Amino acid sequence: MNEFPVHEYFGFEVAFEAIDWTWLVLFLLVMVGCGVLFYRLGKRSEADFFLAGRGLPWYLPAASVYATHTATDTPIWVGGVIYEHGLRGIWITFFSAWCAISALVSTRIFRRSLAYSQAEWQSLRFGGLGAELLRGWLAGWQIFMNMFILGWVGIAMGKVCNLAFGWPEWVGLVLFSSICAVYVLSAGYWGVVMADLQQGIIAFLAIVIVSAWGIAAAGGPANIAQWLANNGQDWRLNPFAFTGLFGGEFPFAWFFTLIFMALLAGFGMGTYIDWYAESQRIQSARTVRDASYSIWSGSALVLLRNGIWAVAILGFFILYPNIVGDFAAFSGQTVEAAGEQAKGVYEVGWFVLGFKVLPVGLLGFFFAAIVAIHFSTISTHLNLGAMYATRDIYHHYIDPGASERRLVWVGRISTLILLLGSFVYGLMMESITSWLIFAIWIMSAGIWLPSLLQVIWWRFNAWGYLSAWIANLGMSWLVVWILPAYGILAGLEDYHRFWILMALGIVVYLPATFLTRPERMDNLVRFYVMSRPIGWWGPVRREAERRGLLGAEPGQAAQEVMR
Amino acid sequence: MSWIRRSWTPEAADEWTKEDYIGMVLSVISYLGIAIGVPLAFFGWLGLVILGVAVAALLLMYYVVDPKLKAISSEYEKRQKRYLEELDKSVRWED
Repeated sequence: MNEFPVHEYFGFEVAFEAIDWTWLVLFLLVMVGCGVLFYRLGKRSEADFFLAGRGLPWYLPAASVYATHTATDTPIWVGGVIYEHGLRGIWITFFSAWCAISALVSTRIFRRSLAYSQAEWQSLRFGGLGAELLRGWLAGWQIFMNMFILGWVGIAMGKVCNLAFGWPEWVGLVLFSSICAVYVLSAGYWGVVMADLQQGIIAFLAIVIVSAWGIAAAGGPANIAQWLANNGQDWRLNPFAFTGLFGGEFPFAWFFTLIFMALLAGFGMGTYIDWYAESQRIQSARTVRDASYSIWSGSALVLLRNGIWAVAILGFFILYPNIVGDFAAFSGQTVEAAGEQAKGVYEVGWFVLGFKVLPVGLLGFFFAAIVAIHFSTISTHLNLGAMYATRDIYHHYIDPGASERRLVWVGRISTLILLLGSFVYGLMMESITSWLIFAIWIMSAGIWLPSLLQVIWWRFNAWGYLSAWIANLGMSWLVVWILPAYGILAGLEDYHRFWILMALGIVVYLPATFLTRPERMDNLVRFYVMSRPIGWWGPVRREAERRGLLGAEPGQAAQEVMR
Repeated sequence: MSWIRRSWTPEAADEWTKEDYIGMVLSVISYLGIAIGVPLAFFGWLGLVILGVAVAALLLMYYVVDPKLKAISSEYEKRQKRYLEELDKSVRWED
């Protein structure tokens, strides 16, 4: 990628005119201005700095869900998947569909718990030492993961700036994340969510305009379909073009796993890494109903966006159908050997379309939209990581009696530390990408089912969930890295690993659950009456009924539950 | 559609009922329809039909779940203030 002449190959140079710079500067001023505008609201309290006072109408968190999940690296990832797999690649991007059921189930349950964060939720659902260990672990893990994501997304911006202007990668990373941090430091989540509304609109417009321009440059949808048919590539237009039940590049078993994981995940909490950002949006909504609609519509927009991108990338494919072959010829490798490295070239397809086909004026708008996409993700993870540091570490363990003013300042200092840490991660990202992928595996494979069980089964306890996390760390390591190095379980596809890790985890956390005591009934009843979870809660429900807590007047029930 | 309940007391709305499960199925249909209907709509009528099904499923979902969500929300807001006052106390480790 470093030596491959990307600009010459795609035939473009980015030349900004005065009007393009004007777009960019104006946009930056609006974004930073947002911070100043909402500064007074953000500094009022911890709940304002991290949840906008829990008073937002549904469309604000919805815009934030959409904007946050449209990051600088998203078109790179979606572009790579569609270029490689055609429309069947849609299913690889379908994981955001966990919100289809979550919007009506886990969103409702989490919003009613009133927990600031998923870590805090652990100490509402569970009790005692186990709950505390879980809360501390999840808080630490989330601070680490948010810093990691900031570095990942930040360096993606560095690569885009390198592609557009030839800047060294660190410039794009440090410059734009730092500008974004100004309004996050000033106004906290108020600044994040208000900026996300503007950024979401701008990003969506840019995606539609650039994609439409790119599709037109490829001769329109009819020409794309015709070209694919003429070249024996018409399978790329079929979302169900499986290569068999279990074999080939995209078997039915992979599709089934993706759908299974995505849809059932909505019954749980923390089943996907996105949940942690979404849970902040859920809790910032003013009612349960607003929370449900915000999660549903924000994720529906993500799916809509993916569909538009997919068509643009098919257009890019017919314009440049032989990138892998050309890359192999350039680097003197076989096509098979060049495959992974060539990915770095075709993954930037959507950006290439934008920089290549848009006229002067719109080019500046396009880059401003890229900055919007970048800011929305950076701002979210700065504020989210700071929330775990402030609420779950400082407020919970260090100074439970801290004033609101102090908590807001701790939030700001945490934001700054996350920003600086992200620079370090971003600059070493090339060497640690495989670690991040490993980390994401930890989140989504062995911990997937326990994250469901904690919501739907009363008997699942803190020790079961904690043992699932610990077992998953070791087993992911074994299944993904160690055993394949010795030729055992080598050559497995990702979906094989998902099922293996799920099965191995059960062997540990089910015995751990049954060999330890159930959670205290007082704790379970309080959680049940507040949150009304779905699933197997019979004994807890009967106890709540016996205590007269179901069907009582709202005020009385709340008093009794908290007594 | 008289078998879809549209008038809820707060107590009844707190329970998980068939309206919730119907809503979930419709929600999934809508998401699947959006995911494949949008790209296919560029290439022919099949995509437009799938997109139409997605929109119809969304409207039906709203019809089925909205009255219940409204009832849950209005009832829960009455409890929320008290719960929030006690939140810090209830999760405190010392307790």
